[in-house]
Amino acid sequence: MKLRSNAYRWGAIAKAFHWTIALAIIGNGVFGLLMDLSRSPMQKINWLALHKSIGLTVLALALLRLLWRWLDGRPREAPAPRWQQWSARAVHAFLYALIVAIPLSGWWFNSVTGKPLQWFKQFNLPALAEKNDTLRHFAHGVHEYLFWFLLLVLVAHVGAALKHHVFDNDNVLRRMLPFGRPRPLPDAEGDRR
Amino acid sequence: MKRPVLPSFALLLALALPGLAAATEYTVQPAASTLGFSGTFQGETFNGHFDKWNAAIRYDAADLTQAAFDVTVTLASVKTGDSDRDGALPGSDFFDVAKFPTAHFVTTGFRRNGAQVVADGKLTMRGVTKPVSLDVKFQPAASGATLDVAGVVQRLDFGVGGGEYADTSVIGADVKVTAHLQLTAK
Repeated sequence: MKLRSNAYRWGAIAKAFHWTIALAIIGNGVFGLLMDLSRSPMQKINWLALHKSIGLTVLALALLRLLWRWLDGRPREAPAPRWQQWSARAVHAFLYALIVAIPLSGWWFNSVTGKPLQWFKQFNLPALAEKNDTLRHFAHGVHEYLFWFLLLVLVAHVGAALKHHVFDNDNVLRRMLPFGRPRPLPDAEGDRR
Repeated sequence: MKRPVLPSFALLLALALPGLAAATEYTVQPAASTLGFSGTFQGETFNGHFDKWNAAIRYDAADLTQAAFDVTVTLASVKTGDSDRDGALPGSDFFDVAKFPTAHFVTTGFRRNGAQVVADGKLTMRGVTKPVSLDVKFQPAASGATLDVAGVVQRLDFGVGGGEYADTSVIGADVKVTAHLQLTAK
C-alpha cells in the first residue's frame, strides 16, 4: 500500500487519518452523550477525563490531517453533475471544519466551566477562556449540537459514498477503504489519460 | 530556717513579673487572617480556604516550651472556587461534616530545625488523630504579631476522599496547609 495519494486512490496515510478520526470522533461523541449513565461522580470524572483526552487526540490528528492533505494532494474527483461536485466539496469542507471545531468547542466549554484539562494523565493544557458561569450552559450546547450537526453531514457523506459504490459502480468508496482495491473501470475513473 | 527564702523569693519575682515566666497570649484578628490549603485535581493545583475557624495562640520566641497553638476549624465553611468541589467536600466521601463538623489541631511541642521553628501537633479529622508538623514564622509587630504556618497533610491518613476518591492520580495525596494570622496581644 502506497503511503501517498495519487490521482486514482488515497494513500495509506490519508486513509489512516480518515478512519482513525472517523472512529474516534463518532465513538467519542456517543460516549459524550452517555456521560450521565455513570454510576458515581468519580466515574463521571474519569469518563469525562477519557472523553477529553480522546477529543484532544482527535484535534491533534485533525490538524495533522489538514497539513497532510495540503502536502499530499488528493485523487481526482469522479465525474458527476456539477451540483454533486459542489455538494461533495461543501460536505467535505464541513467535515474538515467539524473535526476541528467539535474538539475546540469542548476545550472552550471545559475552560468556561473552569475544569482542568489533562491528556491521559500525562500533561495539562491551558484554558482557552476565563471561567464564566453564565457561558457554561451555552458552551455545552454548542459542543453537543456541533456533534448532532456532524451526524447530519455524515448522513450526506456516507449516503453519497454508498450511492457511488452501489449505483455508480465507481471507485469513490473503494479508493478510501482500508484494504480496498480500485475496480478496473476505465471510464468510471474519469479522464485517465 | 534560711532554706525557704530562695524559693519564696523566686515566687515573688514570678508574681511581680508575670511576663517573664509566661508566653504571651494572642487574639486572632479574623478579618486580616486566613486559613487556606491547596491540593491537586487532574494535574492542576487548586486553592481553598475556610471561612470559620478559631485559634488560641500562646507564643514566646525566646521560650518555645511555653508556646501552644489550639485551632478548631468548621469544615462546612470550605470554599475552593468551584461549585462542584464545594458541593462535594462537606459530603460523606470527604469531610463528612454531618458526623465530624470540625477539625482540631493542637500542638504537642515546638522545636528548632536550624533557623526554622517547627510546631509538632496532632490533627483530628473524621475521628482520626495523626501527627502533623507545621513550619512556624512568627514576627512581632508594634501592636501584636503576625504568624505564618505551613505544613503538609496526607488526606488519605484521615480518609478524606476515600473509596473511589482515593485514586491519587486524579486527586493528589498531599494537601498543603497554610495560615496567616494577624495577632494582637491579650
